Amino acid sequence: MSSAIRVQNLQVAYRNKQGKNVEAVRDLSFEVSSGEIVGFLGPNGAGKSSTLKALMGFVEPVSGTAEVFGLPAGTVESRRRIGYLPEVALYYPYLTPVETLTLYGELQGLRGASLKKETHELLELVGLGHALKKQNRQLSKGMLQRVGIAQSLLGSPDLLVLDEVTSGLDPIGRQELRTLLKDRQKQGATLFFSSHELSEVDMLCDRILLIHEGVLIDERPMGSLKDELRHFSLTYRGSTNLLNLASEWEAVSECINRARFHDKNALLKAVARVQGEGSEILDITAQEGSLEEFFVDSIRRAA
Amino acid sequence: MKFRVWWALARGVILESIRRKDLWVVAILGFLILLSAGALGVFGIDGLQVFAKDLAVSVLGLFSTIVAILTSTRLVPDEVRNRTLYPLLARPISRLDFLLGKLLGAVLVTWISFFMLLALTSLALMFFRVTFEPIMVQYVLAKMMGLTLLCTVGLALSSFMTPPAAATMGFVLAFGTGMITRAFTMAYETVDPGTQMVFKFVNGLLPQVGLFDFGSRVANLGWSPVPGWVMLALLGYLVVYGGGMLALSWMKFRKQAV
Repeated sequence: MSSAIRVQNLQVAYRNKQGKNVEAVRDLSFEVSSGEIVGFLGPNGAGKSSTLKALMGFVEPVSGTAEVFGLPAGTVESRRRIGYLPEVALYYPYLTPVETLTLYGELQGLRGASLKKETHELLELVGLGHALKKQNRQLSKGMLQRVGIAQSLLGSPDLLVLDEVTSGLDPIGRQELRTLLKDRQKQGATLFFSSHELSEVDMLCDRILLIHEGVLIDERPMGSLKDELRHFSLTYRGSTNLLNLASEWEAVSECINRARFHDKNALLKAVARVQGEGSEILDITAQEGSLEEFFVDSIRRAA
Repeated sequence: MKFRVWWALARGVILESIRRKDLWVVAILGFLILLSAGALGVFGIDGLQVFAKDLAVSVLGLFSTIVAILTSTRLVPDEVRNRTLYPLLARPISRLDFLLGKLLGAVLVTWISFFMLLALTSLALMFFRVTFEPIMVQYVLAKMMGLTLLCTVGLALSSFMTPPAAATMGFVLAFGTGMITRAFTMAYETVDPGTQMVFKFVNGLLPQVGLFDFGSRVANLGWSPVPGWVMLALLGYLVVYGGGMLALSWMKFRKQAV
């Protein structure tokens, strides 16, 4: 599968108010394949927005390279294939959503009736059909975020770069957004987004990249991460010893024990052993691990 | 093709300016001029055509300059401060196209406010039964070029300093260049050749906005139009000096982190 994004040894620095250079991104390398949905996670100030800005050409990297569909990031040609949603989406306060999208559409190279049609369709799609004639300054934060999402979808870009995509959206808005983004993926788009909302990441992503202090500290496919985080619990009455199979084993009461397993095969072996030794199985549960715990643990380990 | 990009950006500037009621200030000002002229007309101050025309072109010059400086020095810094810049620069347009589009918007806003004031001032002058001579057409054309020049200066200044500092510097240059040039001219013969070179150099750096002001010719009776080459020379100066200002803005902005 071809690469939608390829970042190699990227270093991004800013000059702070005291005039000192501050490294926002250090030696960052990763790849996003075409058609993937990749979540870019990290605590505040980790370098997520700086990386996205480097991809868009808003900042010049100190060193390293970033490519979008094989084109140098930040060039007019690469931006032609990207739909971008900034972290803080603010739009001209005295323009209406229709005028806003028309402006961006024209800059994207769209024209005439097709632009008008797409503008109205997108605003309907993001649930702003009722607010077409309101000026942006009269819209709520969530509605402005919807304007932002609509503008990022103009011209059906091959790659969507979304910075804090769910910011300001209510639960219904988030659900609608998930459906919309999944639809875009089905149509062949690649999604690369940063978020603090781990539940969104959990529900949307094929893969996650975890960044801390400008360095990539973890990179996992969501499927294997979920498997890794999932654990099973077996509660039984009897004296069967499962110490060599379980990751945790505890006595709940005098003759009731509970064992925990990360591995499904270990659980199956344990069930067979418990039954073979005449103990009575009281309960078997599977618990999905929390992405939040994984996030916090990973950041703590890296710190 | 690029013109569509510039026009799309310029249209945004104009729409925002109109809805923000920036131009209403100009309209109210024009209305006040109209009202005061009407009052003077009622009291029958005849024979003061020269005074009235002089006042009118001074007001026109003053307020259109203010609009040009304030509009152009806010163009890019406001985009950065309000974070409206990101969705624009995320589009497949170059930073030069962005600057040209915003500059076109500022120039058009300035021209619109100039024509609004011109229309209202002309109406006001009717109370004095003032008629304009053919040089008025050249005055308008030269003023349009002068305002364009000011917009490029405002844009360049705002690339290197904060909007209030850029506006202050813009006003100093717009209203002070004439005085500085006159001082250089008067002192020129009395200084040594080295200082004369410095005078020439500094004079060349300053935006000679006064060249574009035919106000005194319009106000005084009997002035015939200037030769065509003068207008062409002014256009040439605008292209060279304005192009230089735009190039300065672009050099600062092209790699600037936003």
